[in-house]
Amino acid sequence: MSALDVQDFIQQNRATAQQVETFRGYWESDKHWEARREFILRNMSDFETDRLDHLLSLSMVWANNVFMGCRYSAALLEKVKEMAEGIVVEDAPVFKTRDEIIKSQQVGCLG
Amino acid sequence: MGVPAFFRWLSRKYPSIIVHCVEEKGKECNGVRIPVDTTKPNPNEVEFDNLYLDMNGIIHPCTHPEDKPAPKNEDEMMVAIFEYIDRLFNIVRPRRVLYMAIDGVAPRAKMNQQRSRRFRASKEGAELTEEKNRMREEIIQRGGFLPSEEIKERFDSNCITPGTEFMDNLAQCLRYYVAERLSNDPGWKNVAVFLSDASVPGEGEHKIMDFIRRQRAQPNHDPNTHHCLCGADADLIMLGLATHEPNFTIIREEFKPNKPRPCSLCNQTGHEIKDCQGVARQKQGEHDEFAGAMPAAEQEFIFIRLCVLREYLSRELTMASLPFPFDFERSVDDWVFMCFFVGNDFLPHLPSLEIREGAIDRLVNIYKDVVHKTGGYLTQNGFVNLERVEMIMQAVGVAEDNIFKKRKEDDENFKRRNKEKRKRMKAEQQGPAFMTSGQFAPQALGRRDRPEPVHNARYQAYDMRMQSVEQHNKVASAQSSAGVSDGTDRGVKRKNEDSDSEPEPEDNVSRLWEDGWKQRYYKTKFDVDVSDDGFRKKVVRSYVEGLCWVLRYYYQGCASWKWFFPFHYAPFASDFRDIQKMFSEFEKDTKPFKPLEQLMGVFPAASGNFLPPTWRNLMMSADSSIIDFYPDDFAIDLNGKKYAWQGVALLPFVDERRLRAALADVYPDLTPDEVRRNSLGSDVLFLGRSHPLFDFIHELYRSETREEALVPAELCHGIQGTLNLDEDPILPDETVKSPVPLLRDISVNSAINVKFRDPQFAEGFVFKAVLLPGAKMPSKVLKPEDYERGARGPWRPQLGFNPNRQQAHLDQAGFRALGHSLPRAQQFRGQYSNAAPPSSYHQDKTSWPVNSSRTPLMQNAPQRPPPSFSSVPPPFPRQQQPYRGGGHGWDRALQAQQSAYQQNLNRGGVGPGGYQQRYDQRREDWGDRRDNRGQQQARGFPLPPPSRHIHWNN
Repeated sequence: MSALDVQDFIQQNRATAQQVETFRGYWESDKHWEARREFILRNMSDFETDRLDHLLSLSMVWANNVFMGCRYSAALLEKVKEMAEGIVVEDAPVFKTRDEIIKSQQVGCLG
Repeated sequence: MGVPAFFRWLSRKYPSIIVHCVEEKGKECNGVRIPVDTTKPNPNEVEFDNLYLDMNGIIHPCTHPEDKPAPKNEDEMMVAIFEYIDRLFNIVRPRRVLYMAIDGVAPRAKMNQQRSRRFRASKEGAELTEEKNRMREEIIQRGGFLPSEEIKERFDSNCITPGTEFMDNLAQCLRYYVAERLSNDPGWKNVAVFLSDASVPGEGEHKIMDFIRRQRAQPNHDPNTHHCLCGADADLIMLGLATHEPNFTIIREEFKPNKPRPCSLCNQTGHEIKDCQGVARQKQGEHDEFAGAMPAAEQEFIFIRLCVLREYLSRELTMASLPFPFDFERSVDDWVFMCFFVGNDFLPHLPSLEIREGAIDRLVNIYKDVVHKTGGYLTQNGFVNLERVEMIMQAVGVAEDNIFKKRKEDDENFKRRNKEKRKRMKAEQQGPAFMTSGQFAPQALGRRDRPEPVHNARYQAYDMRMQSVEQHNKVASAQSSAGVSDGTDRGVKRKNEDSDSEPEPEDNVSRLWEDGWKQRYYKTKFDVDVSDDGFRKKVVRSYVEGLCWVLRYYYQGCASWKWFFPFHYAPFASDFRDIQKMFSEFEKDTKPFKPLEQLMGVFPAASGNFLPPTWRNLMMSADSSIIDFYPDDFAIDLNGKKYAWQGVALLPFVDERRLRAALADVYPDLTPDEVRRNSLGSDVLFLGRSHPLFDFIHELYRSETREEALVPAELCHGIQGTLNLDEDPILPDETVKSPVPLLRDISVNSAINVKFRDPQFAEGFVFKAVLLPGAKMPSKVLKPEDYERGARGPWRPQLGFNPNRQQAHLDQAGFRALGHSLPRAQQFRGQYSNAAPPSSYHQDKTSWPVNSSRTPLMQNAPQRPPPSFSSVPPPFPRQQQPYRGGGHGWDRALQAQQSAYQQNLNRGGVGPGGYQQRYDQRREDWGDRRDNRGQQQARGFPLPPPSRHIHWNN
């Protein structure tokens, strides 16, 4: 499903699109939301209505990882990456964890 | 307030607000401790009515102290907490009310900060354990010695959160403690004790504020109640000002920088964990008799007098020729509001406002400029006038560009200076190129061992010459082997010198000092284009809501339990345009989280052991519908700061709907005990038998009244509220079981407790932020600006609470003893010696006679602190001070402050201080004589005045 397909899908399934729109977090920029929306729409069919929260959670795991630098367990990351296969995110930001900051500072001190 | 620098800034700018506490210590006689009789007048020469304890400020240092070994188990922690409260009670000696408030469930707005703290704490804790294990292994392999690892788990400070078993135990223990003291300590006899434990929603200090606010709003309140609030948070100062009570004092531990911390491996001080050698402990004293002694002096307390801060503020904020009548109380509220811009627990601070860069002064100046145009104050009773705030913000926005440029400049200057300083230090260490040695070696003057006459001078000279040649050859060969062509030995060191030992701030991405900073900031922090006006407006709208929420929180109580700031960064001041329409009202009737729900919201998965198994599973299982709240690791944005702990933790926000939905499934799994812990509790009032209200409450229990009863105002100093019977009360003459095995049950109990509820007011009631009628203002402390020296003599600064304090003086023998026992070499050491003295010190227009060897030293080294800042007062510390210098108000105040410090220092050994002051007053009489004397005395300081000048006042 490319960006165009997403547009098509939204046009054809107004009700679903509106429902999905309610999942948007207030803090999400258009860029972040559009990527996550695509994630949700792609995988929606695999989740029953009562397991929708699981899908939302996985979409957030993926978005947090890509846009905020959060780390989750390897298995979980693997899973969401699979689910997100094909979603294009242009110049995603780069992040450093505490360990990485401290390590780079130590190297700086020694060198 | 999450701004540690705030208090430092405040106490430097307004030094007279600080008064050192006088603490009477319990004596010991034949191994029996004699407790201090707190019914006696307060040694601080002031009587407090109410003491409020923000308990979390006590629980943290008592459970995981930074300057001493941690308590071994929970029981020891409880005892430590009791002792801490005893200490405070002894210092403050409240006569009417003791209010203890433990943090309950906080508003959602605080959750971001709590989450970030707990995720960090968990991460840092794990790191420490790892390093400890690694080092332990290494040391033991090298054959070092380490005390055997105790079989205890690392105390997870995250358990200090409402809803955990620990907090529940703590509440039980405090009930016991209060009952014990009410029954046995005469000082507590007539005090009404309120306990608001973690089951009552609200942050501790805000529960206290709510109590004060609601008492003030009812007609029986005594407007001259003297409040004393204990806690180290800077926002207590704001809260205290926001009450508009004339007598409000804050007590906190004195902040001492650079205290030695024991190594967490071997519990010895003097090195950090990574340098631990595992060597046996050195004996303390000849026979190890000081082994039990604390390595550092006990933490002392200071009072912060808000009435003095109000005096300072009135000088600073009073404006003439305003287009509307000036009201000091309203301008204080505006000042409090502006301090929020610089930082608070609920909002990130504006990028251009850094407290270290004088942001508050800048704001005050802008405020005084703009207030002429705004036509009124920014706030009223905790409600914000957004139109006027926008004018302030725009004025800050104009300066923003320059602020960022200047910040960069300052930073570079600082780095350059540091580098030069290191270079200089290095050069000093290297010493001169040629130094005579052997019997020609330089000797310090005035030592006991006099230099011997020179023998065989020729040979010695030859020897020295040969040595220096050898040395020279060595250096040269070292250089050639290193392949340095330029022949100077600087080349070798070059690389080392350039690398800064301070880590560089990494925030070069936003480069706020270069053009286009705004675009870059929005791109790097929010990942949006600056052209995305809609998004920027969203951030600004949230921030505006936040400012309104925070102010309301301080003046009226929590307006919405749900509201929070949903971004990690603040917008720029210049972005605050058309904000007037951005906020109207908060959602009504929001409810706080339940304790266990909040635990799910703030804990990382690593602290899941505080939760029931199925709840914990939601934090760990990949199949959980809220697994995204619990990342294993997270990014930290240094955001222009140097160290990881200063940076912004990028944690995802909690989706309240999804959290509640997920918990609905596991709620049935709670045990009855967990259900109890998860419920919302009530404040509890405790009384001793001799309290006037005691019989009234006892009667309630006897008649088993099931309906609410009002407190008869005349029985409890005008305090109002409603009472409800406790299901499991402490009743007189019934044994109270001790929850701590170390302590005995109370067999003869004479305390009683009852549920208490603050007075309720109709919805929409507005608490007025005004002085109450009948409030008497405390007498002024600062030197009047128009003080004329003439007839009234020199201004005498006030040191403590009492304006007419009796002063004690040393006689001649006392001065001699003092001078003898004080090592002169230490005069420039001490906790404040790194701080540059305020510039007003050198505005001295009068020139003082050079009467001791120290004076020229002071002139040559203006960056040194005046001697009276040092921890050991030199014999005559104040003689160089510009006592008659420029008529600057703070000048005087500063001296008052120093005297307070001095006073405190002197208290220990030589009885009540103040001799320096008297010395100042006398100085003029005999200053001329002092000249000669100073030269005659071998020690370089004058004798005290002739005895006819000494008067014992007491």
